[in-house]
Amino acid sequence: MKRAPIVLTSTAFGVVALVGYHAAGPHASALAGASTGSLKVSGSTSQTGTGSAGARSASATSTPAAPPTTAAPAGASATRSAVGSDMQYPFGDLAVKVTVRGSRLVDVTVVRHNVTDPQSAMIDQYAMPLLRTQALSAQSARINGVSGASYTSAAYQQSLQSALDKLKA
Amino acid sequence: MRGGEVIYRHAEPVMGTVVSIEVRPHGAPMTLTRSAVAAACATLHRADDVFSLYRPDTPLARLRRGEIALEDCPPEVTEVIGLCERARTASDGWFDPWSLPDGFDPTGLVKGWAAREAARGLQAAGLGAGMVNAAGDIATFGTPAEWDAWRIGIRSPESPERLACVIELEGAIATSGCYERGPHIWDVRAEAPARAGVASASVCGPDLALADALATGLVAAGDGGLETVRAAGYEALLVLENGQTVTTPGFPALAAV
Repeated sequence: MKRAPIVLTSTAFGVVALVGYHAAGPHASALAGASTGSLKVSGSTSQTGTGSAGARSASATSTPAAPPTTAAPAGASATRSAVGSDMQYPFGDLAVKVTVRGSRLVDVTVVRHNVTDPQSAMIDQYAMPLLRTQALSAQSARINGVSGASYTSAAYQQSLQSALDKLKA
Repeated sequence: MRGGEVIYRHAEPVMGTVVSIEVRPHGAPMTLTRSAVAAACATLHRADDVFSLYRPDTPLARLRRGEIALEDCPPEVTEVIGLCERARTASDGWFDPWSLPDGFDPTGLVKGWAAREAARGLQAAGLGAGMVNAAGDIATFGTPAEWDAWRIGIRSPESPERLACVIELEGAIATSGCYERGPHIWDVRAEAPARAGVASASVCGPDLALADALATGLVAAGDGGLETVRAAGYEALLVLENGQTVTTPGFPALAAV
């Protein structure tokens, strides 16, 4: 069975573009209060060089090793899902699950999320739903990357990308 | 074939964060691409092994404690110290890793330097274009097929899901700010945490190591430091805590800032 490739807007748009950043968004105020709080990271919470299961590479042309976790019958509107790699970031680790119908990303959920620091846990309660909204709504973002430190969303993006890689075939 | 070129991506957990690498091989074989990306990752891990201050046994940590001398350190340490001296001069003293409360700490420059070295390795391997994004500090070479330059969004300090602006980048960009890690930038002149009213500072130009250092210095210097950045051959965007933005005249913003 040959599956139709999942093409998210174009092969040329990257993982960051996929998760999506808008020049303006309706949800800014919800996170602004959380992310501008004094989010301190001490040496003990920073995980230097600890490789998670998450280091995956992906190519626009390669065939991924892992099959999707579920597969509906082939067809333009088949719904499939996959769980991405567990990614570490300085405040914990997370993994996301993606659901794709045909070539469209229809849902993203966080299936594993461990946080080492209570304050980060509180902030992530705001951040995760927002990241999901952005991932779903921003499939046409037109940028290659984002400058600025954002540990949580980097881990989210990478797990999302690895989940999508599993569905590419 | 705009928008249709081969893209190879890799995410590497290293240096306490995730570094993402994107490569456009432009005809280079996939075996070469893979080995070049693996070598770039090795470069990043090597930088972590030499310069991390979160581990007590790295050469930099031991040098700071006086357990070893500079000549006992790997050659990268001398190189980074030289870059720190250049950056201190270029920033008019606003970036000064020798004047920090806990002793010499070049880490305001090391992440940018490591990403720059990784990108240089990819380019030297013969790949057409690429980007190394070390948690927001980005080194690029070549151009992606879909545009005439890399298009990079600069994160809004208010929210990780909003952009302050989008730029067309040639070379490198680094962003510093207190929004993600709390107030961690030291004002070497005031001998206190930075209080110049800067939410984030982004600096772009040819060398990511220097851009990283200049961005760190700008958080402390505020808009009074913009002319210094420009004199060093770099361009900058400041997002102030009151929401206003200030840029140098040549800052390559696409969207309104």
